[in-house]
Amino acid sequence: MFSIMETSWGRAMWNARDNLLDGLAITLQITGYGFVGALIIGLLLCLITMYVKPLHWPARFLINFFRATPIICQLMWVNYVWPPMFGWPNTLFEAGCVALAIQSAGYLAETFRAGIEGINRGHIEAGRSLGMSAQLIMRRIILPQAFHTMAPAIMNQFMVVIRSSTLVSIIGVSDLMHWGHHLSAEWFEPIGIMSTIAVFYIVVIWTLSSIFKWYSERLRNRYV
Amino acid sequence: MLDQFTSMVAGFSLFWEYKAVMLPGLWYNFLVFFLVVVFGIVLGLAFSTIRLSTNIVLRAIGTFYTGLFRNAPEYVTLVWFFYVPALLLTKLLGANVTFEPLVVAVMALSLSSGAFYTEIFRAGILSVPKGHVEAARGMGMSRTLTLRRIILPQAVRQMLPEFFNECVSVFKGTTLVSLVMVPDLVYGVNLVSSYTGQALPLYTGIALIYFAIVFAMTTIAEKLSNPWRDKGN
Repeated sequence: MFSIMETSWGRAMWNARDNLLDGLAITLQITGYGFVGALIIGLLLCLITMYVKPLHWPARFLINFFRATPIICQLMWVNYVWPPMFGWPNTLFEAGCVALAIQSAGYLAETFRAGIEGINRGHIEAGRSLGMSAQLIMRRIILPQAFHTMAPAIMNQFMVVIRSSTLVSIIGVSDLMHWGHHLSAEWFEPIGIMSTIAVFYIVVIWTLSSIFKWYSERLRNRYV
Repeated sequence: MLDQFTSMVAGFSLFWEYKAVMLPGLWYNFLVFFLVVVFGIVLGLAFSTIRLSTNIVLRAIGTFYTGLFRNAPEYVTLVWFFYVPALLLTKLLGANVTFEPLVVAVMALSLSSGAFYTEIFRAGILSVPKGHVEAARGMGMSRTLTLRRIILPQAVRQMLPEFFNECVSVFKGTTLVSLVMVPDLVYGVNLVSSYTGQALPLYTGIALIYFAIVFAMTTIAEKLSNPWRDKGN
């Protein structure tokens, strides 16, 4: 019977299993940090464009700049330009997180804006006439409704982040893709190794996207 | 920081100095973009028809294709196509098979974007209310006439913004080809950067160049798709 363990690439990958699992962990970590960073920066940018008049245009420029530059340019930009310019980020891992975060922050800022603007003005006025404070209106009326319209777009953006996170290997972060390259160069068995790496990624991402799809269907069915 | 900023702005002249590398690089970006959009649309049309067909086997094939390529990261697809098909064919045929990097890049990116186009076309066609089609058929219109007069005008209007969005992200994706040895602008900048050691102006400049191009594309796309969208309602 054909067994993967009898092939040389199968053994190579099995022997390097710790590295591969570390790589997968780094991929997931960088995605997590990048996405949380994107949520924070995106929310800040969105609030600035909406409520801080003098900073409206600078923030809009940043949003457009983040959205309109390819991720690979941003990775290189953050990795090579930021440390000498701003003295930060200090490690490759941080650079990868920051690049992923600013890329998605632009998209998320637009998502947040659409979500907040999409709320019926009458609801806000009704809340105000009932004597709710601005904070309470934000918490009880705007955010719960905005969450339902924004949730699918936010989850979609998470998938974009995890797919872009494969690229951090080009600035030298030892993620799963890095180990794929490393092992195929070392054993010269790219067919088996690269295919397995691809399957790894596809399984992880397909599972996540199926969960997200199921969840956003559920949200839509429950509230619309 | 200010010193670095001024020297960086002065360093933008490197783009002009090395225009023999930069301009053909940018041309490669546009070439890949054009080819990928064309092949992507062809794949998208083919697979959206397959996904909407009544045959369950065909439908499963279509679902598998879109699921696979929408979920596989583009870089992984690209690297896989860069290494595997040529080696596999070499092993199977016993002859030395190699592919041009450009061919590999276009193949991989087309398959990826084709999956996204498939979903866009499919969503557009499904957005047309069933009643409209039934009404047209009931009035005695043939299937092709229904498609031409009822389905397509409404579907195209629906999917145009998404379609242009995907085109823009295809252009952004063309920068990935530098990683499989296609000499595009990013590749050129990497070369010049390692030759001159001037990373600051080069990587800032390339980000600004892509920003200018992509921002212009997005603006044009919005200008093109907005009037279409409003026309129907």
